[in-house]
Amino acid sequence: MRLNLVLELLDVPGQLLDALNPIGRLGANIVAVIHQRDVKTERGTIPVQITIEGDKETLNQVLKVLEDGGIQIIQVDGIVRKEKITTIMVGNIVDQDLKDTVNLLNQIEGVMVADLDLKMSDHPEKSASRIVIEAEQGRKKEAMAKIKEIGNQKGFLVINEV
Amino acid sequence: MRICILGFGSVGQGVAHVFSMKREIIMQEYGLDLKLVAALDRSGAAIDPEGLNTDLLLSTKKDTGRVSEYPEHGVAGLSGMELLDEVEYDCLIEVTPTNIEDAEPARSHILKAMSAGKNVVTSNKGPLALSFSELSHTATENNVQFKYEASVGGAMPIINFAHETLSGCKIESIYGILNGTTNYILSRMAKEGSSYDQTLNEAQEMGIAETDPTQDVEGEDAACKVVILANSILNMDVTYDDVEVRGISQITPESITLAKKEGYLIKLIGEVSPDSLEVSPRLVKKGSPFAVEGTLNVATLKTDLADEVTVVGKGAGSVETASAILSDIISIWKTNN
Repeated sequence: MRLNLVLELLDVPGQLLDALNPIGRLGANIVAVIHQRDVKTERGTIPVQITIEGDKETLNQVLKVLEDGGIQIIQVDGIVRKEKITTIMVGNIVDQDLKDTVNLLNQIEGVMVADLDLKMSDHPEKSASRIVIEAEQGRKKEAMAKIKEIGNQKGFLVINEV
Repeated sequence: MRICILGFGSVGQGVAHVFSMKREIIMQEYGLDLKLVAALDRSGAAIDPEGLNTDLLLSTKKDTGRVSEYPEHGVAGLSGMELLDEVEYDCLIEVTPTNIEDAEPARSHILKAMSAGKNVVTSNKGPLALSFSELSHTATENNVQFKYEASVGGAMPIINFAHETLSGCKIESIYGILNGTTNYILSRMAKEGSSYDQTLNEAQEMGIAETDPTQDVEGEDAACKVVILANSILNMDVTYDDVEVRGISQITPESITLAKKEGYLIKLIGEVSPDSLEVSPRLVKKGSPFAVEGTLNVATLKTDLADEVTVVGKGAGSVETASAILSDIISIWKTNN
């Protein structure tokens, strides 16, 4: 099977080679590479389109090795990959309308609540919730700022990732 | 070098102790004669142009609680400003208690010393957080050196480290645990599952947290350090009010449990970057450089050339903090000789 990937590479020498090396090493074929150094994303990185071919297991392994090697895969077969954001909010979650909080979070562009975990305290105002949010690649920072804003509006203590 | 210490609490005594320990070695290695000509606390001062005996000074303070009881050379009731007029010295060590309301009396002490052409070493966060640009301008105008390594992270090297070891690199941001007391409390809560109030009490009993813990637990101390790092390392021009501050008093065992389930710890993190100055509880990955326990401090500097560099060290303690002051004194000596 074939897989079309869009990778995002830093604009430093050797990055493309680092991305291509494991593909060959793991036994997948490289069908095409489109690499235009002068086209940059707003973050200053270079998007590279790569088509690879191999059996399913090999291709999955390629994805894993690339990600473990710190290479950003932004699209797989045209589907935008997500970044995970974990946030903890402390406060009277239930009283402040949980559904409304989730709705507000979902309204942030490119963001969706993926998981929610509640831990109630004897003092309701000290209850905690862990919210896992999926954001489109590159939107993490913006999403985190919005999450904090929503939490603060509701009077929660928002604990974001570093 | 004739040295004058204003403030003889934990840090001031640490400096005297370190002088006792290291005087000979420093004389041999650098040809620097550390001569403590005056020390001041609330009671007054001990002054001897020939140099005070640091062991005797420490035992006097320990036994009587006052440096002004120092045999023959004690002067009761002298203020810092009066002392600076009276004594001949080359370098001021300003280690009076931090005041983040108006930075006094430390700010006046430092300005007075600089205007008289003296070098200044301090661990005092108040004047650095509130009047940084005034102080550094005054130092430049009077052509004196102004060093404050001990003000951030105690023994953890960061300011001189960024200026000297990483010179040539642009420092883009700094993230760190800049307060040992809160790190101790959060580490204990994570380990024992205990409540915030309970753990704070324990920390107070152990002398890690102060009787009035506000400056530590509400993030004010860490915010001062954020300001110092922003001004001195990122060359920003900011003051305490520019920092968004949230402390740890609202952290509950429930929130720590939820964080742990996902492989995170909660730490009070100071963030210094051109678009954000913030102190707040944040999630850090277990096993990451920020997952340090106890009263340790840690800071990760993001640079353009060296990528990320992390330093860890004891953020408080008398002798530990004095080590940073000593290194500032030696560095001043090396530059001038």
